[in-house]
Amino acid sequence: MTTRPRPKVAFFDFTSCEGCQLTVVDLLQDHPELLDAVEIVEFREAMSEKLPLDERYTIAFVEGSCTRASDEARLKSIRERADFLIALGACADLGGVNTIRNVMPLQEVREYVYGDKADWYETYPARPIKAVVKVDAAIPGCPIDRNEFAKAVTHLLQGRLPNLPDYPLCIECKALGTVCMYQRGQACLGPVTRAGCGAICPAVGYGCEGCRGFVPSPNLASMREVMREAGVGDEEIESRLRIFLTYQMMKLEGVTS
Amino acid sequence: MSLRIMPKSALKAWIQRLQQRSFRIVGPKALHGRYVFADITDPDELAIDYPTTLSAPKQFLLPPREVLFSFNADTMDMTAHIEAEPTVLFGVHTCDMHAIQLLDTVQNNGFADQHYRARRDALYLVSIECLKPCSAQCFCKDMETYSITETYDVHLADMGDAYAVRVGSDKGEELLAGFTNIWEGADSDQQRLNEVMSQKWQNFEFRLDATLSQLPEVLGAAMHSAHWDELGDICLACGACTQVCPTCYCFDVTDEVDLTLTHGVRLRAWDSCQIEKFAVVAGNHNFRSQLGRRQRHRFMRKGKYQYEAYGKMGCVGCGRCGTTCPVAITCIKTFNHLTQESAERQAAVEVKA
Repeated sequence: MTTRPRPKVAFFDFTSCEGCQLTVVDLLQDHPELLDAVEIVEFREAMSEKLPLDERYTIAFVEGSCTRASDEARLKSIRERADFLIALGACADLGGVNTIRNVMPLQEVREYVYGDKADWYETYPARPIKAVVKVDAAIPGCPIDRNEFAKAVTHLLQGRLPNLPDYPLCIECKALGTVCMYQRGQACLGPVTRAGCGAICPAVGYGCEGCRGFVPSPNLASMREVMREAGVGDEEIESRLRIFLTYQMMKLEGVTS
Repeated sequence: MSLRIMPKSALKAWIQRLQQRSFRIVGPKALHGRYVFADITDPDELAIDYPTTLSAPKQFLLPPREVLFSFNADTMDMTAHIEAEPTVLFGVHTCDMHAIQLLDTVQNNGFADQHYRARRDALYLVSIECLKPCSAQCFCKDMETYSITETYDVHLADMGDAYAVRVGSDKGEELLAGFTNIWEGADSDQQRLNEVMSQKWQNFEFRLDATLSQLPEVLGAAMHSAHWDELGDICLACGACTQVCPTCYCFDVTDEVDLTLTHGVRLRAWDSCQIEKFAVVAGNHNFRSQLGRRQRHRFMRKGKYQYEAYGKMGCVGCGRCGTTCPVAITCIKTFNHLTQESAERQAAVEVKA
């Protein structure tokens, strides 16, 4: 094997469940060669060491969304120290489930969550990290797909940005021979959701919730109509579109948060 | 070619015998109340009287994803992956036989695709006569695909308690070699088959307003039809139509290497002209960024381009795209709408004249 310089890789988390980083840890169990390919210099989930402040990260993976003003300075400093900044998972890439609150008055949300301690906690509408800093690429999903992470790292090691699927989930369902959820009488966001996960939810009989984000030009009017035809009520349609996609929806529909 | 008779009850024993001879058996089987082509391990799973399958049997010739060759990026050693497992495809409807005939023509054109060729040579086709339409969306009578092609190895026709069996090739003889529960048909069997066949044609109706020979012209005249944008307005660009189509064979090729950047494979996977990036070229220009243009391209391929290039229609009238489309864009509705437009244009010209 040719000896190649090992890029310095770091992992960071903002508002998230850390499930994407756990997926990376999990991946190391059957891909230990990842540790030969890269040097992991910071990874709170798995180690205590940190890179000296005057050194740079070759690749910084960031999980989680930006949900408070104080997140911004930390995110910007990671950006400044990183050659490549990669959004890791739905929260970082799309804002994820954290953005569900963006459609409600913030004070109401605070009181609902923190009760009489509402004013103790700093918060503002959740955003994907690309709303704050330049992001070079994203690995989508809730959580990320471990094989797709390995593929993205491979592409980065080759000196190119990750080339991950952004075609609809239906392509993968058909390749797998999965019977369409609509033909089984269930709603599914697959036609407007980007693939790459191996269409695992429909494969086990569960309609897609859109955790990987929209395809580049989603036909939302038509998607809503398809769900309506399938007997899904308007409220449920909007709820479904808001699990992971609130931020993208608000952007597409010209609503700013 | 003589007629042979196999009692229906012998089908299971025939399949078991082929399994013992190490053939992979593939055929229609039930899944979530629908039918798909899949591996048959237990002969009882074979649903040979199926209405139609969701996807076409093309996956056994052109897999959704396949390794073309593997390589070592350091030494530049390459190894071709040409996989061909002797496989018997049971219960192929006549429309799908026509589709396979088109795929054969396309894949053997110029430099024959050796991956396809190897699979095709190892594929044994046991087709079945369609005695009635298989779905609300099929229009095989219009597309002239409701009769069998000459590409079958064994062709079955349901005569009630028995199958009329025709063997079309040496491969067909190979499948039946040593199987004893089949015998030469008598004149009376031929007569029974003739009766079954003579009753078949009236079960099918024409569902298109244009004839097969008119279709390329109807589509050619529809290049600037406003209907494409109407389809584009509702199309989700999900690509399901092309994935289930028995004649769509467009693919994408990518290289994937492992984390050591040393060992890699060149992959070929199904692509779809309906997805956003299909017609994106260097410089990021997209030749078909509008959904309507992409639908137009698909229908042109099905009803005009393939016919002009290979003398066979790209659409075999199986109706699968119409069944799978979440927004119910169907060949029948589209072709008929365009035929109507064509007639209206013609009438307008005549009025002016």
